[in-house]
Amino acid sequence: MKYLTIDTTTKVTAVSLAEDGGLIAEGFLHTSKTHSERLIPMLDQLLVAASWTLQELEMIGVVRGPGSFTGIRIGIATAQGLAQVLKIPLTSVLSLDALAWAGLGRREDIVPILDARKNEWYTARYRWAKGQEKAECLTPPQAIPTDLWLEQLKGLDRPICFVGDATVKYKTRIEEVLGDNAVIMPEFVSLPRGAYAARAIWQHWQETGIGELVEPFYIRFSEAEVNWAKKEEARRRTEHE
Amino acid sequence: MGGVGKGSEGHAMSSQTNDIVILGIETSCDETSAAVLVNGTDLRSHVISSQIVTHQRYGGVVPEIASREHSLHIQPVVQQAMDAAKVGFEDLSAIAVTYGPGLVGSLLVGVSGAKAMAYAAGIPLIGINHLEAHIYANFLDHPKLEFPFLALLVSGGHTHLIYFAAHGQYQVLGHTRDDAAGEALDKVARTLGLGYPGGPQIQKIAMDGDAQAFKFPRAMLEPDSLDFSFSGMKSAVLNTLNSARMRGETLNVPDLAASFQQAVVDVLVGKALRALERTGAKTLLLAGGVAANNLLRETLDKELSERKVHFVYPPPIYCTDNGAMIAITGYYHYLAGDFAPWTLNAAPGLGLEGLV
Ligand SMILES: [Zn+2]
Repeated sequence: MKYLTIDTTTKVTAVSLAEDGGLIAEGFLHTSKTHSERLIPMLDQLLVAASWTLQELEMIGVVRGPGSFTGIRIGIATAQGLAQVLKIPLTSVLSLDALAWAGLGRREDIVPILDARKNEWYTARYRWAKGQEKAECLTPPQAIPTDLWLEQLKGLDRPICFVGDATVKYKTRIEEVLGDNAVIMPEFVSLPRGAYAARAIWQHWQETGIGELVEPFYIRFSEAEVNWAKKEEARRRTEHE
Repeated sequence: MGGVGKGSEGHAMSSQTNDIVILGIETSCDETSAAVLVNGTDLRSHVISSQIVTHQRYGGVVPEIASREHSLHIQPVVQQAMDAAKVGFEDLSAIAVTYGPGLVGSLLVGVSGAKAMAYAAGIPLIGINHLEAHIYANFLDHPKLEFPFLALLVSGGHTHLIYFAAHGQYQVLGHTRDDAAGEALDKVARTLGLGYPGGPQIQKIAMDGDAQAFKFPRAMLEPDSLDFSFSGMKSAVLNTLNSARMRGETLNVPDLAASFQQAVVDVLVGKALRALERTGAKTLLLAGGVAANNLLRETLDKELSERKVHFVYPPPIYCTDNGAMIAITGYYHYLAGDFAPWTLNAAPGLGLEGLV
């Protein structure tokens, strides 16, 4: 089965063409241009280079977050638009699940960290057991202050392998807290890649085998919603008094 | 499929028939909308999903929430429009989408979706200037409109007087130096506790008020200027309210609303008449969200019929943001062969000036 994956949840535009879980072509751009400018031209180039046509695609997989809110929406709108016209199923995985594949086969716990600004990360924790087809998710996706998460990981007292776009900026801090238990993968492994999404999507497709309605996975509410909820809460409290 | 680096310009015309079928998509602010238009006159479908209720609790449009809503609604809205028009993507000649001005996150949802659909369907993508589209909404019911004409664009974000010599050839004669007319109406509505969106609320409550009760200034600026300024007028209302409050008086809200609405309309009409005199144009097009205001329409209607100027305005459904106006503008761009590259990006600050 031939399929396309799109990951625009970070500053990297990552696209793959794959067949039955095997990577055929991969696009990776980490430039100053926007996803909007890069995405369709990259797809067009990959198709030409791989001598594939859009009409050969049988499924589209998109990474639906967490990550950049705008990036998530660009990826989903693009994947949806393509799937809608081509009349093929659409499916999705989480960015953190896809990044777990960067640590495939490693013995440490795999911890993807994505920059969530405000000194927080989008993160989760995975473990690859020997011979397993899929990483087990030990801590589900969350947005958490960086130092709080590092303290929690320190408490586990075991080696942790870090991947994700926040590894570069936070390398020193991670090593300060975790010492020898910290394994920080280099940037070319750490950043989202089409190859990871290709594997994660294939794994997910084998479990489901059916297209799905894909919605963004933000983890966070928008600031306006948070502030409104706070105000409502305060109002309710004063009413009770 | 297209070669490397090529944009959507390279594609051939739609195949089976000679019909020009345009799908128009609009997501620049708080409406997700799509429409299918055939040959510039036959509006086969028009779907508008409004977020007004979602934003009401915040007293205005929240950009991040608007983007989230668009993301959830674009696909079903487009599919509904296609189904209602009984067309498939293979029947389309091109897809037109708003790429600016507007909220960047919202624009990107529409641009990304439209781009992917056009690319997958192998048809051209057309990038539409939202302001131009508001004016072109008039062509939906008046396809034979003759150039030259003058357009008065009045919305929450814009107040423009534009002279059109021909399709795609126009000149901005005047624009607001501070608040847009719709913005001033919104702010005054909020101060009066009338809620969001402000324009329609003011219009509603003003019906029970006396437009002569308060004398608010009419900022006409220099005698030769066609620019607008509404912030001083808005401040006059706020000052009136404040000094009344200090004296412990309560003012009649319908009177305030009616008087302010009258002042805004007087300025808009005054400037439009000035521009007509100057250009000699014999047709005036009204456009934008505030074009739905009855007082503005009635006043212009009266003044223009006295001067034998042809007055055209869209029905209310085409005044607010909608996909039909994107489709009709796309139709004229299609005729001109004006297509966008696959690198098309959102342009939140897009103006009309650059297009002259
Ligand atoms: Zn508008």
